[in-house]
Amino acid sequence: MIEVELHLQGSEFQLNAEFSVPGHGVTAVFGPSGCGKTTLLRAIAGLEPDAMGSARVNGKKWQTPHERLPVEARRVGLVFQHPSLFQHLTVEENLFYGAKRLENASKPFDLTELILILGIEKLLKRHPGSLSGGELQRVALGRALLAEPKLLLMDEPLSMLDQASRGILIQLLERFLQQIDIPVLYVTHSSEEVARLADNLVLLSGGRVTACGPTTTVLASLNSELSRSENAFSVLQGRISSKELPGLLCVECSDGIDLKVPASETMVANHYNLGRAVRLRIRARDVSICLERPQQSSILNILPAVIVEISTSSDSGSRVIKLDIAGMHILSKISDYSVQQLGFHTGQAVFAQIKSASLV
Amino acid sequence: MPQDYDIAALIITLRLAATTTIILLIVGTPIAWWLANTRSRLRSTIEAIIALPLVLPPTVLGFYLLLAFSPDGPVGRAVSVVGLPSLAFSFTGLVLGSVIYSMPFVVQPLQNSFVSLGNRPLEVAATLGASAIDRFISVVLPLSKMGYLTAAVLGFAHTLGEFGVVLMIGGNIPGQTQVLSIAIYDHVEALEYGQAHWLAAGLLIGSFLVLLMVYGANRRIHLMKKA
Repeated sequence: MIEVELHLQGSEFQLNAEFSVPGHGVTAVFGPSGCGKTTLLRAIAGLEPDAMGSARVNGKKWQTPHERLPVEARRVGLVFQHPSLFQHLTVEENLFYGAKRLENASKPFDLTELILILGIEKLLKRHPGSLSGGELQRVALGRALLAEPKLLLMDEPLSMLDQASRGILIQLLERFLQQIDIPVLYVTHSSEEVARLADNLVLLSGGRVTACGPTTTVLASLNSELSRSENAFSVLQGRISSKELPGLLCVECSDGIDLKVPASETMVANHYNLGRAVRLRIRARDVSICLERPQQSSILNILPAVIVEISTSSDSGSRVIKLDIAGMHILSKISDYSVQQLGFHTGQAVFAQIKSASLV
Repeated sequence: MPQDYDIAALIITLRLAATTTIILLIVGTPIAWWLANTRSRLRSTIEAIIALPLVLPPTVLGFYLLLAFSPDGPVGRAVSVVGLPSLAFSFTGLVLGSVIYSMPFVVQPLQNSFVSLGNRPLEVAATLGASAIDRFISVVLPLSKMGYLTAAVLGFAHTLGEFGVVLMIGGNIPGQTQVLSIAIYDHVEALEYGQAHWLAAGLLIGSFLVLLMVYGANRRIHLMKKA
């Protein structure tokens, strides 16, 4: 378990973060800019001397109200938003900076393999000044991992990168973060990164944790600010069940429930084998609700659903409706007017029209 | 041709400048570090005190030091209690005076260098398991190389050119406390322009060569960073 209860009184900002998440897998800390995500991460690492409270990582006390472990004794891996390699050291020397200082190294990583996975084998003798942003972040990740951290903290590691290197790095993270035996706290404000990487989700708003739990559950809750915002989305997990339709993949998300999602030919050929586990992201505003099954619609995914919950009306005159589709929960955002006109109520059997679902 | 006592003045000057610089680099590091990182209200006061020699006429500083070093002065009394020889008109006294006089020339470049370093490299080093001393040696020192070089050169050069303070507390004793700048002054006073030339031109060329080396090193470090 990672148990955090930290308070920090800044001049214009207050952090009162309390949450606990499983001590393995990837937990995303999600929230708008300025909500205190970075401060929270720094406080957990021990870099905010004024942070009060307690933090425990898999039983080890990093901070209690009476005592705090110094940063260097915590074994915390930190990858900053701005790549922060030591300018006076080569890539190789940077990589081993932490590893060299370990007293009893257990060497969980095969060095050659790690360097290959990160794709930095050609950079080892170079100085950080000559590396691209993506390369710097990959070296920074390698350096943090080789120090064998008990918890890996990542602060929007992709936000400074261009689209292409972001694409490469997120694929790497997706595969790699699941393999390693280190819990990860991953700060982001990108729903795509949440959908692709996060097993668990902590929602942060104005310095407070508003929700915390498994990603799919948190996203399906109507109580969070996120679900009421324009960016509300759901994440479904499934397996590729068919590649026969041209330009489409069938993803089985629940018994007998197939969703058809667009996929390019090359992606289908190279990447997606039958049975492969994938995640889908569905934006709430892309889901509409019909009382009867629409006939001859261009929308591919029309599924029987039951209304579980309807939110109160928001300022913008829209409501979020939580739907149950064979045990999965997805959100739909529709206008208050439609809810009134069609007389939607909880427990009602309806049809969900999913205009688009994307593989992430 | 330079006389024996001119050579002695040269050696004393170099010894004084070198000793002062080494002491200042050691003493100045924690002071500069504290100034660069503290949030204490005392900071401005300490900064102002350290910068005083920049604005004070050296004779003012020398005058107060002389008073302090005199047998009745606070420092003089402390020294005699411990049983050490008097500081006034001694080489040790000159070193002490020079350390105070050249302090801002060493502390300020170091402080600037520490400030521009920022917290990030230190935070990274801490998360990677480096203790405070380890962080200083493995991260701060190498990244502040230019700051230390500048501080050392400025401290050395400034001590080399010292005149007023030395004159007040050193007493111009040839072979003991007479430094180059004062020897030149004496030669000029005695209308020995030839000998004054030897020393003055030597100092000029020597200083130029030192600065040339520093700026050359500076350029190499910059080029290395870009490579």
